[in-house]
Amino acid sequence: MRLLDRYEEVVGSREIQHLRRLAERLAGKRIVHVNSTRTGGGVAEILGWMIPLMQELGIDARWEVISGPPDFYRVTKAFHNGLQGQPVSLRQSDFDLHYEVNRENAKRLSLEADIVFVHDPQPIYLPHFTPDGKVKRWIWRCHIDASQPQRAIWKHLECALSKYQGTIFSMAAFTRHLELPMFIIPPSIDPLSEKNCSIAETERLETLTRLGIVPDRPLLLQVSRFDRFKDPLGVIEAYRLLKPYYPELQLALVGGPADDDPEGAAMLREVMERAGDDPDLKILMLPPDAHRTINALQRSAIVVLQKSLREGFGLTVTEALWKGKPVIGGACGGITLQVHDYHTGFLVHSSAGAAYRIRYLLRYVEKRNRMGQIGHEFVREHFLLTRHLRDYLTMLLCLDHPDSCSLIV
Amino acid sequence: MAEPFALYDCSLARRAMGRVCSNLRELLDASRTVPDAVLEHHLLHCTLEDYFELYEFPNDLARWCWEGLSDNILAEQLGLVDPYRYASIAELRSAIINLIEDRLWGLERAPWCRPGRELYLMSSRLIAYDTCERYPTPAALAEAIERMPLRSLYYHVYEAHRRTSEHTDDFSAWLENYGVSPTLVARLRSIDFYFLNLTQLRQELLQAFRQYLPELATVAKGTL
Repeated sequence: MRLLDRYEEVVGSREIQHLRRLAERLAGKRIVHVNSTRTGGGVAEILGWMIPLMQELGIDARWEVISGPPDFYRVTKAFHNGLQGQPVSLRQSDFDLHYEVNRENAKRLSLEADIVFVHDPQPIYLPHFTPDGKVKRWIWRCHIDASQPQRAIWKHLECALSKYQGTIFSMAAFTRHLELPMFIIPPSIDPLSEKNCSIAETERLETLTRLGIVPDRPLLLQVSRFDRFKDPLGVIEAYRLLKPYYPELQLALVGGPADDDPEGAAMLREVMERAGDDPDLKILMLPPDAHRTINALQRSAIVVLQKSLREGFGLTVTEALWKGKPVIGGACGGITLQVHDYHTGFLVHSSAGAAYRIRYLLRYVEKRNRMGQIGHEFVREHFLLTRHLRDYLTMLLCLDHPDSCSLIV
Repeated sequence: MAEPFALYDCSLARRAMGRVCSNLRELLDASRTVPDAVLEHHLLHCTLEDYFELYEFPNDLARWCWEGLSDNILAEQLGLVDPYRYASIAELRSAIINLIEDRLWGLERAPWCRPGRELYLMSSRLIAYDTCERYPTPAALAEAIERMPLRSLYYHVYEAHRRTSEHTDDFSAWLENYGVSPTLVARLRSIDFYFLNLTQLRQELLQAFRQYLPELATVAKGTL
């Protein structure tokens, strides 16, 4: 079975048919995506499905990966943090290393194309070291909130953008003023991935039992790094405010190990202390590939929380909505695009607010179920990879026809 | 014999302007200076983004004045601006500027929004494409409305009012050409579409078609 046919079962044949129609105008176009890793991380996940789907639609799409010494990744990790506004300290030699690795990769990679999408800061200087005429258009795809970057980092990256013809950001709120077109394409989830596919009831129950969660008691869940901005302490506080009214309530805070992140490790210690010896409050450290476990937990929760104080797009919210769960979310970042009061969940501004809204959802079962259904349909329409792909195709057509207003193709 | 109705779908290519409004004075300045495509997005294309019937008002500017600035008076005034009544974006822009200027004139201090409630200015281009789906008869078209993508409804009703020289929707134009009852054509054209979201529009269209469905069935058999 072709890949697109598999998605047809989820989004309907018409949506796929319309994608094919749209893509007919782009048949044979040579597109290269470049990033810094083939496995692990959100960008690799996106390219993992996007390249084969573009190919099935008749586009000549390829994926190239840059490589560099370990120090290069230390520098680009600092770029990543600095773009998001965290203080970082870099020397001129670090910037020089970034240029040098890009120069070497430009020689090595096969970049002849109509359009090259360069993902995130790591390969951003490739156009500077690629002979003119090899690539018709360069587009920088920034997956990071770059609205409040560290100045030195931004200046370094902004210089690279002089060779580009356009950029893509996930939300308007993640952009800064640039002279280039800034297309907005929100991210998406893959409904057939391990994290989002349907799972057997036996597997779901086995997962809960293995983790010490009682299946027939209500479960609150937050899946997030142990990070101050995700406010795990606020989630515990909300749970404690509710516990006297709902003694059966359980809470699971799920995150990954924080071995290489001193701040994360400190946060985790604080969370563990605050959790104390409450048997109904589970702090779960899962490996990065525990997708099916997270899937089972999200499907088992009665309400999912993402009580962030600062957030990127918040794909954990999308995942929960897709599984028919109302979400209580902090009113920040991409959560505000996904959580709409009384429709898909509630936006909250405090632990008391979270507790109050959870209490409402625990009390009104029918409304909770209805919100879950609406959330599922909302994601189907707006945040599945088919919409993501349609946005890319639309943007490509737009670039091919730069002059007209509305365009009929 | 009329050509079958050709169904189009559409999609928006959205672009951020890298420009943000935090208060009413900035909105006025933006209304004067932004490209036409920005006003088009916030006053016209924004219909494509209202999924839940969430919004009190049919355009982004009215919504932001209500929710962001808490300026209910201006929100109500902007909500009443029907962009489809203006011959050009330039005329629409004048009307918007006039309303905001007039409101600012009477205020001691320009209202500000709280951090996090800013208006991020965007533009968008509508890309429409033929889906190759065809409806040969009015009955087939009526039946298709129920499961038609909302984006297609936008294209054939909202966008059609700006695209066609008669400033009307594609459905009624095609039905008129097909020769159905002028009452149905008039009924479709009387729908106050700008104040509906796309789901509500679908219901209104279905209601109008159902009212005339027996007649449409006759048309389909070619007896009219």
